[in-house]
Amino acid sequence: VSVAGQAPAAELEASMLANTCNGCHGPNGTSYGPAAPTIGGTNAAYMFETMVAFREGERPSTIMQRIAKGYSDEELKLIADYFAKQPFGRVVDQNTDPDLVARGKQIYDNLCEDCHEDEGMSAIDYPALAGQMMPYLDHQLHDLISGRRDLEKNEALSSKERRKKMRNLKELVDTEGEDGVTAVIHFFGSKN
Amino acid sequence: LGLPHIARATGGNVVIVGGGVGGATTARYLKLANPDISVTVVEPKSSYHTCFMSNEVLGGERTLEGIEVGYDGLKSMGITMVQDRASGIDPDARTVTTAGGETLNFDRCVVAPGISFVTDGIEGYDEAAQEKIPHAWQAGPQTALLRSQLEAMEDGGLVVIIAPPNPFRCPPGPYERASMIAHYLKAEKPKSKVMILDPKEKFSKQGLFMQAWKDLYGHGTDNSMIEWNTFSKVGAINKLDAAAMTVETDFESFDPAVINYIPPQKAGKIALDADLADDSGWCPVDKMTFESSKHAGVHVIGDAAIATAMPKSGYSANSQGKVTAAAIVAALAGKEMPQPSYVNTCYSIAGTDYGFSVAAVYRYKADDNTIAGVEGAGGLTPVDASPEQRKREVAFAHSWYNNIRKDTWG
Ligand SMILES: Cc1cc2nc3c(=O)[nH]c(=O)nc-3n(C[C@H](O)[C@H](O)[C@H](O)COP(=O)(O)OP(=O)(O)OC[C@H]3O[C@@H](n4cnc5c(N)ncnc54)[C@H](O)[C@@H]3O)c2cc1C
Ligand code: HEC
Ligand code: HEC
Repeated sequence: VSVAGQAPAAELEASMLANTCNGCHGPNGTSYGPAAPTIGGTNAAYMFETMVAFREGERPSTIMQRIAKGYSDEELKLIADYFAKQPFGRVVDQNTDPDLVARGKQIYDNLCEDCHEDEGMSAIDYPALAGQMMPYLDHQLHDLISGRRDLEKNEALSSKERRKKMRNLKELVDTEGEDGVTAVIHFFGSKN
Repeated sequence: LGLPHIARATGGNVVIVGGGVGGATTARYLKLANPDISVTVVEPKSSYHTCFMSNEVLGGERTLEGIEVGYDGLKSMGITMVQDRASGIDPDARTVTTAGGETLNFDRCVVAPGISFVTDGIEGYDEAAQEKIPHAWQAGPQTALLRSQLEAMEDGGLVVIIAPPNPFRCPPGPYERASMIAHYLKAEKPKSKVMILDPKEKFSKQGLFMQAWKDLYGHGTDNSMIEWNTFSKVGAINKLDAAAMTVETDFESFDPAVINYIPPQKAGKIALDADLADDSGWCPVDKMTFESSKHAGVHVIGDAAIATAMPKSGYSANSQGKVTAAAIVAALAGKEMPQPSYVNTCYSIAGTDYGFSVAAVYRYKADDNTIAGVEGAGGLTPVDASPEQRKREVAFAHSWYNNIRKDTWG
């Protein structure tokens, strides 16, 4: 806030647009749960690409496709930059099972750590997963595994990244089963 | 008589009438934008019960405490709460007076008093009758009363919901209510029925509700738990007898166990008294700033305002509060506000794992002073959404509730 009591114009425009998301995603994009994802502290490129994918109907959703169609590329860039500057708030104590958390940690070390670094806290190149809402992680993992959320449609990813991600998810399901999926969700959900 | 508040804040004085969704959101976003602005909220209640999720209370899925929110979040930001009813607004002297005799000076005033009810026109119905025939359209004791009547009724009884004419607070609300009451009755009193009597020929999310009633409550069969009757079919309401518990229409008479009459509505009384409404009973405003078209320096938001395409909902009131806060911050600093952006979303829960939604993104149109939906954006949950999608929407409805509460009252 400047002395005159008003922030610069671009910042004002960004917050005007981004504030409309808070009703569902929480103040500054920090979700109070139980299911809607935290979007504050998200990597700006990932959020922009995600919003475009929703808008173009390439990523499935319950409601985001309908919302994303309301914004232009320029507006989405402002919104993504705005949320990237907010902290990724971890305010909900989610119910996790210590045994599942331990098992999830092992799976994470083997299969996820290369990309979702720092136990899923990092949002530098990939979406942060630590402290994300567990029902949301559950939806997304099942949508990714079933191909409903189809990474092949995501041109922002290299083909190598896509192959590796899908290979690792397949290995998760093949070797650890549905319990393994639950375990990684508990691992990420236990972080706050 | 109280002395006028003489404290002069460096950023200006804003007095907000009403600590509901619109008022509280404006207060919070003013303080977030510029802590030097002095913000005072006048609100008679010591805590607020949200109407949203109050239908879950009626359905037995949530307690009354579960929809109660206090004002500590606003106070902790340095917002002054005056627990009193505003009794007058003088736009020329720029003062708000309270029933308790205080006078508050303002540079800008925000009026967000919600709705009042039109209680004349039906024989046997007045404010006193509301103690036996609850509207439960302002949450709190009225919600508790309607819930206790549902709990007390015997299996096989009839619940009559009389829906209001347009425009009114929460267009899908009466139909979500019918669903949540049927949800409760199906589990506890399965021989009972819900009948909606409606002055309208169609209603919000009609296709989705009808599908839900078919999927969950036998709609379309002889054993339907929910019946929807328009006045054109059964006649308009003539008489409500609170002692005998009867409903009389032009053509029929009903003998329900519980009557939920949701009266026609207009802007909250203080907005009418302060000459902020037009002949429609609602308040015309500039759609970019929500400044009253009738009195400069006074903004009207939420249900009380005429906001073109935006429905009277909590999400709308929250969204309008943010736009109004930006308009006031700019006006007090003598600058231009950014182009406004508004959103509305409304989730409805029709039963176990059965949710759906409507959404819209709006922009300001200067040429005709309207708020218009962005073309191609928004819309309804598809009628053929999968059971998994419907289940997810219930979890997202509950998330929306937690998040908008935080975003509004801190
Ligand atoms: C059953 C039901 C379900 C609903 N569900 C949803 C939903 O799912 N989603 C959604 O978005 N919306 C929903 N709504 C609508 C939502 O509750 C309203 O649109 C919203 O509360 C409007 O906000 P407001 O600020 O205009 O009024 P309110 O929230 O009603 O606030 C008005 C406040 O002003 C105070 N006040 C009144 N007069 C004075 C005075 N003279 N002085 C000082 N204070 C005064 C009142 O005490 C009150 O606290 C629902 C409504 C109902 C009835
Ligand atoms: C009505 C509720 C609602 C509104 C308003 C809303 N969102 Fe969402 N958002 C959701 C839900 C629910 C999901 C989960 C996906 C789905 O089912 O739609 C989601 C998912 C997302 C995701 C994906 C998160 C991830 O980690 O991949 C992003 C990014 C997002 N929203 C950004 C936004 C932005 C930006 C806005 C405002 C311009 C916004 N949302 C407005 C409900 C909402
Ligand atoms: C090759 C890198 C890579 C590996 C390994 C990887 N991921 Fe991902 N993950 C990504 C990328 C990239 C995305 C974003 C995809 C997109 O843009 O749609 C993502 C997205 C996700 C999401 C959705 C996040 C959101 O906010 O919507 C979840 C959940 C997830 N990964 C879990 C896992 C788990 C569990 C593992 C290990 C079994 C794993 N990932 C391994 C790269 C990887």
